Amino acid sequence: MIRRRAFLAGGLAAGAAAAAGRLAGGAAVAAATQAPAADAALGERFAFDGTHQAGILTPRQPYAIVVAFDAIADTRGQLADALAALSARARALAHGYDALLGAPGGEGPTPDSGVLGARVTPDGLTVTIGFGASLFDDRYGLAHRRPRGLKAMPAFPDDAIEPARTHGDVLVQLCANTHEKLLHALRDLMRTTRGALAPRWKVEGFLPPPQREPGAGRNLLGFKDGTANPDVADAGLMDELVWTPEGGTFAVVRIIRNRVEFWDRVARGEQELMIGRDKAHGAPLGRAAEHDDPDYASDPNGERIPLDAHIRLARPRTPQSEGSRILRRGYNCSDGVDDAGQLDMGLLFVAFNRDLARQFEAVQKRLAGEPLVDYVVPVGGGYFYLPPGARDAQDWVGSGLFV
Amino acid sequence: MRATLLLPGLALALAAGACGDVQRAADGTASAPAPRLEQRVAVSGDVPRARPADFRAPIARYRAHVRRELTAMAADVAALRAALARGDLAGARGAWLAADGRYESIGAAYGAFGPLDAAIDGRPGVLQGGVRSARFDGLHRVELALWGRRSTADARAPAARLARDVARLRSHVGSIAIDPLDYALRAHEVLEDTLQLQLAGVASPWASAALVALEGNVRGTDVVLGSLRPLVVRRNPRVLAQAQAALARLRAELRRLHRRGGGALPRWDALPRRERERVAGLTAAAAEQLAFVPELIDPRPPRRPQRALGTELAQ
Repeated sequence: MIRRRAFLAGGLAAGAAAAAGRLAGGAAVAAATQAPAADAALGERFAFDGTHQAGILTPRQPYAIVVAFDAIADTRGQLADALAALSARARALAHGYDALLGAPGGEGPTPDSGVLGARVTPDGLTVTIGFGASLFDDRYGLAHRRPRGLKAMPAFPDDAIEPARTHGDVLVQLCANTHEKLLHALRDLMRTTRGALAPRWKVEGFLPPPQREPGAGRNLLGFKDGTANPDVADAGLMDELVWTPEGGTFAVVRIIRNRVEFWDRVARGEQELMIGRDKAHGAPLGRAAEHDDPDYASDPNGERIPLDAHIRLARPRTPQSEGSRILRRGYNCSDGVDDAGQLDMGLLFVAFNRDLARQFEAVQKRLAGEPLVDYVVPVGGGYFYLPPGARDAQDWVGSGLFV
Repeated sequence: MRATLLLPGLALALAAGACGDVQRAADGTASAPAPRLEQRVAVSGDVPRARPADFRAPIARYRAHVRRELTAMAADVAALRAALARGDLAGARGAWLAADGRYESIGAAYGAFGPLDAAIDGRPGVLQGGVRSARFDGLHRVELALWGRRSTADARAPAARLARDVARLRSHVGSIAIDPLDYALRAHEVLEDTLQLQLAGVASPWASAALVALEGNVRGTDVVLGSLRPLVVRRNPRVLAQAQAALARLRAELRRLHRRGGGALPRWDALPRRERERVAGLTAAAAEQLAFVPELIDPRPPRRPQRALGTELAQ
């Protein structure tokens, strides 16, 4: 009987005993008990299970990978099995465990990539799982289960969408305190679901370290970004802006390339007029501090902050516009160079909303044609529905679609 | 169990609800119970380890397959040359695809073919100067002529040399040494090559014949796995069953593409994205299952692991 990755109760002791049984001498037990206390960042743990999925209100960990998969399972049952396996492995990876790096002969492929060493620490990992509109076609009998309001992300007027970086049946957002934790988890999750989920696109993101400066971190345009985000500690506000009645949410992922060479050839003053904030400390133009109110009422003609400045269009702070706020949880991202030798970097925009039409799309409409569009080019991403979290270890994310 | 496309042990653990143990455990990383590697490919206690001698019959069977395929390939190359002689580009392309598929079906022995493999299937990427190298020859030199240059004349001389090299290889099949360990490894390495070279689009850049190659690779893998069947099945029948199920899915997909193409496989670069994902995903899933075969039947004498204890468990 094959028992690849069989889960054993009893943890270290049982594992060490098993190892000792295969190794010359019995010193493995002693070695195993001398493990040092884990570093705080490596030991940080977010529960995979819960009313809502982790990785939505969770304060952003420094690293992220967002991957979209297409389902290639032959049957509905195979797809359900794969999604159950995805949650089971995500739960284990988020919890942490001891992994044997290598195994004596006769056991098949290596059980663990070994990227994290013998101890797989949690590293603050969250794995957040979502579904694109394309999953709800006739392949798996899910057409009648498509969440209300979920559709394929449309191409907006200023987009330059590349199919190879857009849409997907299943979204997996991985966030953690270390980059290698993400790569370890991704390899494990993909290996687990190899015959059912085929990768479609992947973007890796990172954040500036918080000790660099107070307030919001900077994007790759060099401006503070995320200052005006809604407060995740305000449960009522989250119910209004993020959670659907059943406890899910809709994610918008936008891979937004920044034309950084072009942007760097623009004067600081021009950049600030396009953004609406001071480049140095992030304050709204004409104000003193990052979190000051831009006070558009006192500037009806846009003499201080132009009417088409990004922050003003994105959030005009009128009573009508406040309901269209979104919870942004994006990352900076950087890939290779294009054929013209220009850097392919920018923003991995991730935002959560309760209602795509009322929120994200309303913001997009306001932003259409803003001066900044010459420098930021959305090239991919998609809309995804993120169901509620798994209730417990027997449950899995998405199980509700299959009952 | 229906979860044949998941990794075997995971499906098992899920079925047993064993993951719950992880969650019920006391908190704290140091004491956290873990999903634990167990004896994943248990070999029944009364089955002795495979010995090199056990591979004689499988390798003989494989050798017969290689001989048959090379005989057929020689006929394909003859048809190729005939088409070239009459300036028939479409006919030459068809014959080339047939010959290429044949050669891909004997992939389990590439390493044993030595310089003749380089002459027949050498790729420009490994040559100084690439396609401009004087040593660029064989199937892919003909491919360049037929698809890259749309020329039958340009293909005639390399096709003549190809015919000579295939005949030479055919006459050597009986004396080619195939190592038992290499042979066991080919159970999944043929498809690893498919993933690295064919489905990544580098193997036949002009003909984009990855699906033709994949079909040959699957056929070759079937022969290898079939020949090893007795060795595998008495040690762990599930390894064989899961590998065969994964290969069956892949074959069914190729049949579907065949039917849709009216008997011919489409160019790889013309396949819609989702279908490419599916073919590549099924190929990778098959490799994942086939990878359990080699260690199960490893013909080498057992070796105690010589690891320091510290590499086995976290320090």
